[in-house]
Amino acid sequence: MDIAGRLQGVLEHVQPEVVFNLGSIPVTTTVVNTWIIMAILLPLAYLLTRRLSIVPRGAQHLLEMVAEFFYDLLESNMGKEGRKYLPLVGTLFIFILFLNLSWLIPGMKPPTTDLSTTVAFAVVTIVLVQIIGIRERGLWGYIKHFFQPNPFLFPLNLIEELVKPVSLSLRLFANMFGEKTVVAVLFLLIPLFVPVPVQILGIIMGLIQALVFSLLTVVYITSFVQGH
Amino acid sequence: MMGYLSVALAVALAAFGSAYGQGIAARAAMEGTARQPEAAGDIRTTLILALAFIEALTLFSFVIAILLWTKIVV
Repeated sequence: MDIAGRLQGVLEHVQPEVVFNLGSIPVTTTVVNTWIIMAILLPLAYLLTRRLSIVPRGAQHLLEMVAEFFYDLLESNMGKEGRKYLPLVGTLFIFILFLNLSWLIPGMKPPTTDLSTTVAFAVVTIVLVQIIGIRERGLWGYIKHFFQPNPFLFPLNLIEELVKPVSLSLRLFANMFGEKTVVAVLFLLIPLFVPVPVQILGIIMGLIQALVFSLLTVVYITSFVQGH
Repeated sequence: MMGYLSVALAVALAAFGSAYGQGIAARAAMEGTARQPEAAGDIRTTLILALAFIEALTLFSFVIAILLWTKIVV
């Protein structure tokens, strides 16, 4: 009963293993899992949107529910012009949702349990938000935004801007990694029925974290497009 | 031994703070819903957002605790 040893092994398994090498770039299991999810998502998206009709039938209901939710969110935050940000926010939500739910496929470790994936998401999103801010208000308006309520708050605004990628990525990563670790440890101790409620909680948290990521993107875009 | 104690204490304190904060947020959300049931959808979305924010701070502490654990136990 080498529980301590196996516990050790579980917690040291934090680093993803390298599967093969593309030239000189190591490709880890995380990247392969992401490719598998992409291979599932892209044909699904193509097949579901082939015959759209005005009166929705079948799976189109589901798509319209998600799209309408984000349309309403963007419109209530930003007004009519918010609709053009729907591709960014919707893609983030659906992609992160599928990545988090890939737990259900036996044998797959969700790619969001790896810090690389979540940092990539967060950095790309924040850079895009800056570019949207510059495009909407011009360079001068973008810089003035940092001095907005009070010029003395400039360092605080700058630090807040730099902390946003950190907090976005760590929130998603820590949620998924915590769930995976707790379930792994529970499987070591009592494999019979006890891990099931924790796994259900993990799936719910995955959904909520995807929602929160996209919601926060909407909030950040609003704060840049409309000022403090 | 102090290493183990510090890791456990970090996670325990973070969990306590987060539970207290999320309880207050949930209480405010339920009072708002009871006062005006038509706004239940909006309040629910805002509640989920607030809970995720509060939870994130606990999880930062959890990640640091895991890093410490792997360093101490070698």
